Amino acid sequence: MRDIQQFISKTVSDAVIEQKQKFTVTVAPEQAYSLIKALHDNEELPFDYLISLTGMDWEDKLGVIYLLSSSGDLSKEIVVITATEDRDNPLLYSVTDIYETAHLNEREAYAMFGIRFINNPDMRRFLLSDDWKGFPLRKDYDGNPGLNPITIVNKEIVDIAPRIMEDAKGNLIESTVKVFEDDDYIVNIGPQHPSTHGVMHFRTALNGEIVKKIDVKSGYIHRGIEKLCESLTYPQILHFTDRLDYLSANINRHALCMCVEKAVGIEVPPRAEYIRVIMDELNRISSHLLAFAAHCNDLGATTAFIYGMREREHILDIFDKTCGGRLIINQDVIGGVMFDIYTDFQKDVKAFIPYMRDKLKEYDDFFSHNPIVLRRMIGVGNLSFTDAVSYGVTGPAGRGSGWSCDVRKYKPYSLYDRIEFKEVIRTEGDSYARYLNRLDEIEVSLQIIEQLIDNIPEGNIVGTVKPVLRLPEGQYFQSVETGKGEFGVFIESKGDKHPYRVKFRSPSLSAVSVMPLICKNELLSDFIGIGGSMDYVIPDIDR
Amino acid sequence: MQSFSKYISGIFTSLRSLLKGMGVTWKEFWTKKVTMEYPENRETLVISDRWRSELIMPHDENNEHACTACGICMMNCPNGTIKVISASIETEEGKKKKILDKHIWDYGSCTYCNLCVITCPSNAIIFNNDFEGAVFDRNKLVHQLNKPGSKLRDKKK
Amino acid sequence: MNYKQPLELNGLLLQLDLFLRGNLPPFWASLIEGLLILIAVLAAYAVIALILIYAERKVTAFFQARLGPNRVGKYGFIQSIADMIKILIKEIIHINRVDRFLFYAAPFFVICASVMAFGAIPFGQGLQAVDFNIGIVYVLAVSSLGIIGVLLAGWSSNNKYSMIGAMRSGAQFISYELSAAFALMTIVVMTGTMQLSEIVENQRYAWNIFNGHIPAIVAFVIYLISGHAETNRAPFDLPEAEGELTAGYHTEYSGMQFGFYYLAEYLNMFIIAAIATTVFLGGWMPIQIKGMDAFNQIMWYIPSYVWFIGKTAVLVFISLWVRWSFPRLRIDLLLNLEWKYLLPINLVNILIMVLIVLAGWTLTDLFPILFGN
Repeated sequence: MRDIQQFISKTVSDAVIEQKQKFTVTVAPEQAYSLIKALHDNEELPFDYLISLTGMDWEDKLGVIYLLSSSGDLSKEIVVITATEDRDNPLLYSVTDIYETAHLNEREAYAMFGIRFINNPDMRRFLLSDDWKGFPLRKDYDGNPGLNPITIVNKEIVDIAPRIMEDAKGNLIESTVKVFEDDDYIVNIGPQHPSTHGVMHFRTALNGEIVKKIDVKSGYIHRGIEKLCESLTYPQILHFTDRLDYLSANINRHALCMCVEKAVGIEVPPRAEYIRVIMDELNRISSHLLAFAAHCNDLGATTAFIYGMREREHILDIFDKTCGGRLIINQDVIGGVMFDIYTDFQKDVKAFIPYMRDKLKEYDDFFSHNPIVLRRMIGVGNLSFTDAVSYGVTGPAGRGSGWSCDVRKYKPYSLYDRIEFKEVIRTEGDSYARYLNRLDEIEVSLQIIEQLIDNIPEGNIVGTVKPVLRLPEGQYFQSVETGKGEFGVFIESKGDKHPYRVKFRSPSLSAVSVMPLICKNELLSDFIGIGGSMDYVIPDIDR
Repeated sequence: MQSFSKYISGIFTSLRSLLKGMGVTWKEFWTKKVTMEYPENRETLVISDRWRSELIMPHDENNEHACTACGICMMNCPNGTIKVISASIETEEGKKKKILDKHIWDYGSCTYCNLCVITCPSNAIIFNNDFEGAVFDRNKLVHQLNKPGSKLRDKKK
Repeated sequence: MNYKQPLELNGLLLQLDLFLRGNLPPFWASLIEGLLILIAVLAAYAVIALILIYAERKVTAFFQARLGPNRVGKYGFIQSIADMIKILIKEIIHINRVDRFLFYAAPFFVICASVMAFGAIPFGQGLQAVDFNIGIVYVLAVSSLGIIGVLLAGWSSNNKYSMIGAMRSGAQFISYELSAAFALMTIVVMTGTMQLSEIVENQRYAWNIFNGHIPAIVAFVIYLISGHAETNRAPFDLPEAEGELTAGYHTEYSGMQFGFYYLAEYLNMFIIAAIATTVFLGGWMPIQIKGMDAFNQIMWYIPSYVWFIGKTAVLVFISLWVRWSFPRLRIDLLLNLEWKYLLPINLVNILIMVLIVLAGWTLTDLFPILFGN
């Protein structure tokens, strides 16, 4: 990292470089863009993957925290912080032209903090409606329900996007841009639609049956979890993580637990680690099974959907016996796990492994080689390596584009540095690669469970944790590999028992943001199929 | 000519894999079905011991519970599902003592995070297995957990 | 050789006819007979639809490792009757900004086309409402009228999903109609008649599918595929692909109007299976082996309409089996399948059939002692 330090000092002379939990660089707003651009174009170690873009309100300043990483080596991370003091008209430079994933994230930051990004081509609010009053995640937000009353009147969707661009001379010009042409044939896929896997709204301009343009609209089930977190204690926040990507509930929770544990320095007993990882992998299998099932359903194969759900039920039964919950299982707590395994846990899991292998074979016979399936998946929804990185598409989808991006490999947490497992990578980048990746990852997860299930050590299930948790002042990051990709937790603490700011990096947001790109010029039916192959979960986006 | 033989072989490989897929469904047609017939199997239905459905406060045969009305469950509840209403009484020795008046739990807003149960210092509340909690009136979801006339169990016993 | 046929209905019908004509002037007799036939056809239509809906749900469930309807009546037997009552008493929601006349007329096109085709099917010995000498052409012609209803529904609904669904349906129907017709023509080449009753009679000892062996089997498979496609059922259910177009062309319909589409869909499935049975599998004719009178007599004890329903049921089952095994095709794959595979194969197939017929290689020509009528 020393080279990088020199590199940064050379690029931006007055940057403040600190070695906190992560390597942190604080720069002035005018220099942030050039620094990030330089880091991105750095040949030795290009920081070409924007993990998260977090809007911040430090009361005296409004700013953004960029967490950058390199697609070649995810363990290399840099935090770039920039902030402006102007609260009335906060302006920062957009990094959308460097990282495509920044586009929706910046729109979210605008909706939540009112920070406008210069040169972002489309500065509508994301997650909130266009006429929302106030910026909810600001500390001085007026939460009076009278300001934003619940209405049952149909609102016309505004198709004119404001933006603020910088011309060659450096003047800022406010302008508007039309999202759709006047004579576009727009079909709403969502918010209520059988194939959007939740309340996602894709406004799709069609040319015959061919998708011309997609406008992503989300926020229909936005619950303001990040805002809620700011007034709750750390153990209380835990139950929200299960409700983000509910299919990877336990893995999300694991991330938040680890983030807090690392910040406070809590030792997790080995038994708890084993239970956590086994539960995580079971959770991953169930997530992939549902992804398989839903993908098949999107392609019109209802029977395969039921088969996937049937196998998933076995995992849910194990969950149910272990933690008393099926989807929202509340297993991890700070310092360990809430419930010890039950007597027959090992027996049940061991019985599940051969059963699942048998069923994987059945899926293979039934679906994976069906000529209709092959024609509907191979070469459809091509996502290139560069685009996957630029849009931050991780997980099985990113690995389907040849990007080795398994957090368990690069930033091993819990037991993953001691487990042998293969990272499943395919280079085709089409729906079929993503589909097969998931099925193969089920097998990998089964192998991981096999390594662990007989070796669960005896001992406590919870380490010593103070009754009232206060995180030392600082910024804490933690990433895990969920069923959908890299899930990140960011906590900024002021030493209180409540976090100052919590941000969840959701893998589904990236998956959705890339949809307009990979669905362009595909048929409407394939748009649905590609959506299935990207496997996004909407509550993960609408945090 | 090559493309023609590819055309023909394509038809046959496709047909073969289609038939294979139909073979799978044919096999499944005869396998045992996984559907649980719920109201009928009520007698034999096994709900796991740890299943969280309804928060209860166990009372013993003397109509005594373990709740000291400390309010820790109420503080730990992330969304205000629990309300502990305490009352002050004067003991025989003339000291003032806080006792439980009403322990109110709202079935409708509980997220089953289990924090109240694990943080309770006197293990006074637990989740039971009775999952059939549907009612026709939302007000019926608000449960009072301590039974009328119940009192705190004496610790010395 | 005449066999005893104790359970056949044609004798009874003949008695009825004689009775009516003996007691009433010819005009009234014909009118009453016509009305009776109409009622019988409509009743059969409704009953078969109900049975099919139940069967479909049950079979589907079994393919999907489920139990299917099992609440209303034993094994859910009266589930579809309950559904029918529900759909009859459901409110018909009036949609603003639709083309009113066409919107309300569209379901009737679909249902009429389906009933008209249904009437021409020979259900058993003497159980056929209309027996044209160009029966096959008639069936093909009226069943293809249904597409007008679909297109009208899509157009008049003023809904984008419906519109796309209807357009897909148009492309699909026109394409597969060709294949279906050519497949039937292959058999017409062999039998030399288009009259359904004669086609059945000709298959006394050798079903057409065996009589014409290779080309007939190919034609049979092609007919099943294209028939399946014509009925808009998965994997060819693009017009109503629920994953993409919510409900396709009938998105805006409710109550009994929707019920008409629903009924017609199931009945079309039956009609396709019934025509395939009649043309390829011997129709209502029991299995007969030339020279084995005892066996034949036993076969005749099973009435012809049971044979017909049995054979049709097998084909319906295959159709369901296919439906629940495969994912949906995409519009380009659908058209590829038709224009690049089915149609060319079909054309070659007809040619082969012509050669076989000319060369006298059909089973009846080759082994007249075993199979000749």
